[in-house]
Amino acid sequence: MAAANKANSGSLWLEKISKVFPARGGSGEVTAVNAVDLTIQQGEFLTLLGPSGCGKTTTLRLIAGFEMPSSGHILLDGKDITNQPPNKRDMAMVFQSYALFPHMTVFDNIAYGLHIRKLSRSEIKEKVANTLDLMGLQDLGARRPNELSGGQQQRVALARSLVMEPRVLLFDEPLSNLDAKLRVQMRSEIHALQRRLSITSVYVTHDQVEAMALSDRIVVMNKGQIEQIGTPDEIYRRPISRFVADFIGRANFLEARAEAVMNNQATVTLLGQTMTISAAGNPKTGDTLVAVLRPEALKLRVDPQLQPALVEQAMYLGSEIEYRVRVGQGILTVVENDPRASHIFREGETVGIDTIPEAVHLLPA
Amino acid sequence: MAAIIRSRPIRQFRQIFQDPVLAVALIAVSLFVFIAVILPILAMVSTGFSAEGLPLFQNYLQNPIYQTIITNTVVLGLTVGIIGTGLGFLFAYVQVKVKAPFKRFMHLIALVPIISPPFALASAAILTFGRNGMITKGIFGVRCFWGQGRSCNDIYGLDGLTMVLALSLFTVAYLNLKGMMLALDPAMEEAATNLGASKWRTFRTVTIPMLLPGILSSFLLLFVEAIADLGNPLVLGGNFEVLATRIYVTIIGLYDTNAAAVLSVVLLVPSLTVFIIQRYWVNRQSVVSVTGKPTGTPQQITHPLVRWPLVALVLAICLLIIILYATIFVGSFVKVLGVNNEFTIDHFDFVINGYGSEAMTDTTLLSIISTPLAGILGMIIAFLVVRKAFLGRGLLDFSTMLGIAVPGTILGIGYLLVFNNDIQLVLPFGGENAPVITLIPKLTGGRAIFGGAMAIVIVYMVRSIPAALRSGVAALSQIDPAIEEASISLGADNALTFRKITLPLIRPAFLSGLIYAFARSMTTISAIVFLTTPQTKIMTAQILNEVENGRFGNAFAYCVILILIVLVAIGILYLTVGSTTGAERTLEGGA
Ligand SMILES: Nc1ncnc2c1ncn2[C@@H]1O[C@H](COP(=O)(O)OP(=O)(O)OP(=O)(O)O)[C@@H](O)[C@H]1O
Ligand SMILES: [Mg+2]
Repeated sequence: MAAANKANSGSLWLEKISKVFPARGGSGEVTAVNAVDLTIQQGEFLTLLGPSGCGKTTTLRLIAGFEMPSSGHILLDGKDITNQPPNKRDMAMVFQSYALFPHMTVFDNIAYGLHIRKLSRSEIKEKVANTLDLMGLQDLGARRPNELSGGQQQRVALARSLVMEPRVLLFDEPLSNLDAKLRVQMRSEIHALQRRLSITSVYVTHDQVEAMALSDRIVVMNKGQIEQIGTPDEIYRRPISRFVADFIGRANFLEARAEAVMNNQATVTLLGQTMTISAAGNPKTGDTLVAVLRPEALKLRVDPQLQPALVEQAMYLGSEIEYRVRVGQGILTVVENDPRASHIFREGETVGIDTIPEAVHLLPA
Repeated sequence: MAAIIRSRPIRQFRQIFQDPVLAVALIAVSLFVFIAVILPILAMVSTGFSAEGLPLFQNYLQNPIYQTIITNTVVLGLTVGIIGTGLGFLFAYVQVKVKAPFKRFMHLIALVPIISPPFALASAAILTFGRNGMITKGIFGVRCFWGQGRSCNDIYGLDGLTMVLALSLFTVAYLNLKGMMLALDPAMEEAATNLGASKWRTFRTVTIPMLLPGILSSFLLLFVEAIADLGNPLVLGGNFEVLATRIYVTIIGLYDTNAAAVLSVVLLVPSLTVFIIQRYWVNRQSVVSVTGKPTGTPQQITHPLVRWPLVALVLAICLLIIILYATIFVGSFVKVLGVNNEFTIDHFDFVINGYGSEAMTDTTLLSIISTPLAGILGMIIAFLVVRKAFLGRGLLDFSTMLGIAVPGTILGIGYLLVFNNDIQLVLPFGGENAPVITLIPKLTGGRAIFGGAMAIVIVYMVRSIPAALRSGVAALSQIDPAIEEASISLGADNALTFRKITLPLIRPAFLSGLIYAFARSMTTISAIVFLTTPQTKIMTAQILNEVENGRFGNAFAYCVILILIVLVAIGILYLTVGSTTGAERTLEGGA
């Protein structure tokens, strides 16, 4: 596709963007997006991730131009587009509900935007045909949306946006209406397509696995503000707040005292083991910290040297075994995903608990 | 934050005004509604409360004659409201909840009064059930008295008026209640039965309360229509005078605009009150009580002691409607119905080739002009109201609805008050010979622009846009806004999106808006009687003329032709606008 020659355009810059809505049905107002600063690189796949109501959709709609920011600016390739109407922005949006035009065939749906661009009939035909091919919809051009399965509708919606070769693609939870299997499949299709066409993409989801799988970078939002921006790996391994650590994946939180600090490495004692590990937020010696322990950072083993743990619950999940164990007053979640671990500890058994220092991360309390 | 709050409306408008077409549309419809609806009503009210008007209020409110007129109006509204809603409920109940034969037939007959030319039913009632009525006197030879010399088959007065008005208006209640009964979740009645309630108890404690908002809203609608009606009381009222007829006489007979304005204000009070109750209270109730998707099949009543009396009652009313319409039809083909039943086509000759042909063509032409305008305007306002956020959105909706909420007589008088002269702007320079710009030329009365035709087209529009607006709003709220946003995101502006996406998707609503507009325009009378001029003849006004002079044959011929024109128009509209593309099926299926 010709999108490649646009690869050097499509950088977005949100500059202190805020959006205040009058509260629905009542008086007062809701700050849906609060002073968001964000740069999105050309060809980057960026995901907005966060709990329901945190302002993801609103941010996306501000970029698309469906909402006007209450304050702040939006720049596309260095040009201020804050006041540009949505139809004049070189972006295309894929909607959660697909929003296919029910009174048009698949072909006409995909050709719609090209007609508006006043392309010649033959050009339109060729481009639509190519896109149908690309999306594996060759034989469905004459059908109407209500004659398609959910997955096919999703593909048409994507095709309709892709055919426009926009500078920016916007997605609002495009996969949330699909069943689990199809979701995974479409996820990898979107991933492959976006990498191939390298169109700048902003993707909204509240599914962290989807976000991890697709994104170059993830923006974790909370209450209208950006909580953290980073690669999936950074977000998972080095969350900068308890909110992020809790929202992305699962985590055990343990309090710990920084016994010594050097180069953002703090020495702490966790579950009877002393270790020196990376710490966020420039702690000082003597500070109380919170250790984030992912379930896979903990290991259960029969070893009298280790801190004892009482198995309260053991669940066999196929690819892994999940335990809930009591250590002192607290309950910890431990996941055993080593395929060599043939033995399942029984509920009521007391075992030893071990920590993998590389998988522990420290946060300010 | 304070600055943001204050500038929000400005920002919303800026967003709208980014698209010139949208801005023009918003300004145009607002101007139209202001000039064509608000201004006449304001003029009427301010005349009522002027120095000449105010003393009259006191006079009227203390004068026993006027007290009777006001009481009569309210009584008529109540009886028609109750009986019409009852009829609608009966028809709907039998249609939805009773196992009955001839359902299709009952449904169609219930729809017939939608096209009822004014005076048609009233005149037919006089000829069949009146003092010398064919049925009352001819068949049964009825001659009875209630004492004091009052004949019990005296069709004139409250009883006859109630019958005719209830029959002409009950269709609205029927459709409204039928829709609600169908939407009612059968699980709720099943639950009641399950808990041991008898059928009657279920009906009393579950069905009726659930339908109460619908019943109430139908009653209010009929109440307003009944107190606003001019045609029927004029023909059938006899000594039973109501505000609408008194206003008419005050203008047409006495040329007293002040008095008419005062009476109009009196009539406006109940109309507006009911409209506001309906809009802000009843509608809110109904949202809560209907659960949406029905989950089971409704149980139908099969008990013979309930079933057959209900069926018989409905069929009897169907028969009554058929008799009245048959009277119109037969009456148009005989010399003097009931007196000289000789076949003739003179009446049709009079209407088609003679004196009436002008009215026939004028009315049809003006309706043809106003119908698409009203339909489109209704859809545009619906689009703005449902999809766009701007200050005054609710006001635009409300003002548009006033076009039908306000009795036609009041609107007509308002037009006389506002548009009887050029509306001019004298520029503030040039002194004595300051340039004068005519903003709106004289629309009504002698030497009016286009012989008064423009005022009539505007009134036709004002009276039909509200229905189009409501059906447009209902249809639009069913459509995912993302579909329109998708179009915009693909580069279409608002106008193109409206034309290519919105309008095709709400086409069923558009179609019903058009049909309603045409039928309404062809049959409306109360506002029009004040606006016809020698150059522009309107059929309904001509019918009134014929009825007043006792020439029922001509009146019936007018009615038959009018009904035919409306039917043909409906057919044409279905063929041109209504061809299905599957879009509406998709929407129904996907909803
Ligand atoms: N048009 C609107 N009017 C008023 N409030 C709104 C409007 N749109 C969004 N909000 C409010 O703004 C906040 C953010 O909404 P938004 O839709 O952006 O959340 P989201 O992160 O997309 O959530 P979800 O995951 O549930 O889709 C919410 O509190 C919401 O109620
Ligand atoms: Mg959302």
